[in-house]
Amino acid sequence: MFRKSLLAFAISLGVSTALPFAASAQDAAGDVPSFVQNGTLTVCTNPTLPPMTFVKGSDASKPEGMDIDVAQALAQRWHAKLSIIPMDFTGLFPSLGAQRCGMVLSGIIQLPAREKNFDAIAYQDTALTVVARANTAPITSMADLSGKTIAVQSGTSYATRINRENEALTAAGKLPIIIQQYPTEDQVVQQVLIGRVFAFVSQDVELYFRQKQLHGKVRIILKPDYPDYRHFAVYFRKNAQDRIMVQTAIAALEQDGTLQASRQKWSISAQSEQALTQDESASSFNWSAFFSALTSLAFFKGACITLAVALLSHAIAIVISIPMAITLNGRGNSVLKAVLKTYVSVFRGAPTLLQLLFIWNALPQFFPIFREQWFTPFLATLVALAINESAYQVEINRSALSAVDAGQELAADALGMNRKQVYRHVIFPQALRIALPPTINDFISLLKTTSLASVISLQELLAITQVQVARTFEFTEYYAAALVYYLAMVFFFLFLQKRVERRFSWADRKKASANAS
Amino acid sequence: MHPDLQQPDAALSAAPSESAMISVRNMSKLYGEFVALDRLNFDVQQGEKIVVLGPSGSGKSTLIRTFNRIEPHDSGSILIDGKVIDEKTNLTQLRCMVGMVFQNYNLFPHLSVLDNCTLAPQLVRNTPKKEAEDMARRFLEQVGIPEQANKYPIQLSGGQQQRVAIARALCMQPEVMLFDEPTAALDPEAITGVVSIMNTLAEQGITTLCVTHEMAFSRHIADKIIFMDRGRILEITPPETFFTTPQTERAQAFLDQMIRY
Repeated sequence: MFRKSLLAFAISLGVSTALPFAASAQDAAGDVPSFVQNGTLTVCTNPTLPPMTFVKGSDASKPEGMDIDVAQALAQRWHAKLSIIPMDFTGLFPSLGAQRCGMVLSGIIQLPAREKNFDAIAYQDTALTVVARANTAPITSMADLSGKTIAVQSGTSYATRINRENEALTAAGKLPIIIQQYPTEDQVVQQVLIGRVFAFVSQDVELYFRQKQLHGKVRIILKPDYPDYRHFAVYFRKNAQDRIMVQTAIAALEQDGTLQASRQKWSISAQSEQALTQDESASSFNWSAFFSALTSLAFFKGACITLAVALLSHAIAIVISIPMAITLNGRGNSVLKAVLKTYVSVFRGAPTLLQLLFIWNALPQFFPIFREQWFTPFLATLVALAINESAYQVEINRSALSAVDAGQELAADALGMNRKQVYRHVIFPQALRIALPPTINDFISLLKTTSLASVISLQELLAITQVQVARTFEFTEYYAAALVYYLAMVFFFLFLQKRVERRFSWADRKKASANAS
Repeated sequence: MHPDLQQPDAALSAAPSESAMISVRNMSKLYGEFVALDRLNFDVQQGEKIVVLGPSGSGKSTLIRTFNRIEPHDSGSILIDGKVIDEKTNLTQLRCMVGMVFQNYNLFPHLSVLDNCTLAPQLVRNTPKKEAEDMARRFLEQVGIPEQANKYPIQLSGGQQQRVAIARALCMQPEVMLFDEPTAALDPEAITGVVSIMNTLAEQGITTLCVTHEMAFSRHIADKIIFMDRGRILEITPPETFFTTPQTERAQAFLDQMIRY
């Protein structure tokens, strides 16, 4: 469904670029905010914060929750199609800045610091809560957390807020609160459940919703009164006219009961807080959850994306690294060689995650063409990983090619073969034998590296796993299912390597004899 | 005669010979500052068997490699079968005509003996597979190892590998064969086998240039000995003259060493 809407968007984009005057005329009329482009409202969200935004079913590209309800209501009001782009939390604001989405709706607190760069309109009350394991006595102030470890989601403003508490604590000569940051909300909760940290910081609405999952496992120990932590807001790029329109729209939705209905639907109410008090016995491994995850379409799709990205990017890397290796192995010095050497150093040197983020978030700032819809997370990951892997593959190819005896090329030359034939029939088959084991090694490593692409919203296996964990909190079961998928893929390629290596029996006298007989 | 003086060949004209199989005039080859071949002049007639002798580093291998342009010469001229060899030469045609056998065999390890022999004819001469295989079996028969056709090179002894290398070169049906120390890596028994194959080829009238220290071939089969030292040709004489009455002190000294071992 997500794909289809993307496609529809791409088509409408094509149509509208053909009629730019018609589109701008509509904008100027003031019917809809300027970020609704070509009749589509694009919303970025990180679907790991129930009940605001999360994945309820198995289709990771279709988040649900109050934020999604609000997005739908706004789209309807502006007569626009809604396109939801799920992504990592840390990617939300950069994507908004890069014009990849018109709006961010992801259970984000309205904060003055954020309003410096973006416009924000509140649509839901909330309160900050400090949550610890069940049987923990309530505390009276944040100062009681002195010296204790707490977990927060990275990219959120909680860490900054707690650091302000720490300044006060240090000034009073007390130990600061130790902060651990995790990329998703569910990982934050897990740290409390497994007892690694004393407490976590979150919003009350989330806890109300999670009461079924967390039933009896945790309890709210403090609700500090932070005046600037009281509202969830929608964010969009600064524009005075847009601001008025969004404000009017939200007010109208509150008026006509749309927002209230959504609150009811997602159990966002004060009564829910009472349920978070009773105790429950520790749960054991849930085999049925494990098997249903293992056989779910979502996991299968995630694994397919992981496999496709790894195979394609490695194939591209191999193809582009062969001429690079031949050039680098050649005699003498040239400008091209110096350029290639720099390429290899840079892309082996820079962290893969940084390269991914650079291509996804920084590239559109230089070349606006990369913020268009055709440049999907899949494509971006493919480009980033292919470039990264090619830098490693060059070194493998270079060593494999120079390991082939120079006499081979000489003999092939003397027999009248041309360059292409020499490489195709004499050098490559021998170099392949040497290059294969390290290449498979790299491929296995690459297969696992694809999990980094969840930060740019690629719905690969690990991203799927995390979304599912956020929904159910059965993290052991889902991690185990993901592990089974990764191992199955790796073992398949190891098996393939053994099969291919059989064809290299010519290099071993005993094996060659055994094959001949 | 002074050893540094070029041995003049009375029969040589200043212009290259069009009728000779190989005609070399004033040909030089440099490796940077180092003069590997220094203004060489000689002719090789069709069907002649030439042995190139000389100490290591004298330029023997470099000399024969200029004939199939694996080592391009820098000045002077080389004619093969009346055609000028230079940067415009069609290398495929040249190398179809001039076959080469190396000291270390340089067989393709990933191909069977038969495929080693049929690869180049199929790729370079566009010989159909069946025809190439028939021809390969014929030459493997001639070098005495028809039963090894389906083995990989690693399964063969050194002598057997060198026989395959000869068969592989012959499959291109060359008119000139270049041997670059073909027996240097072999034991005495294997040497006898390879030398007898070279004898047979020579008798069949193929023009042969061989860099070797193998006395049996040099004395009894060769028509001429070319003796080289430091990139120059010091003597071009029939073997009986060379081995009994060498004209240069350098050649005499070289022969003394050769006989001692």
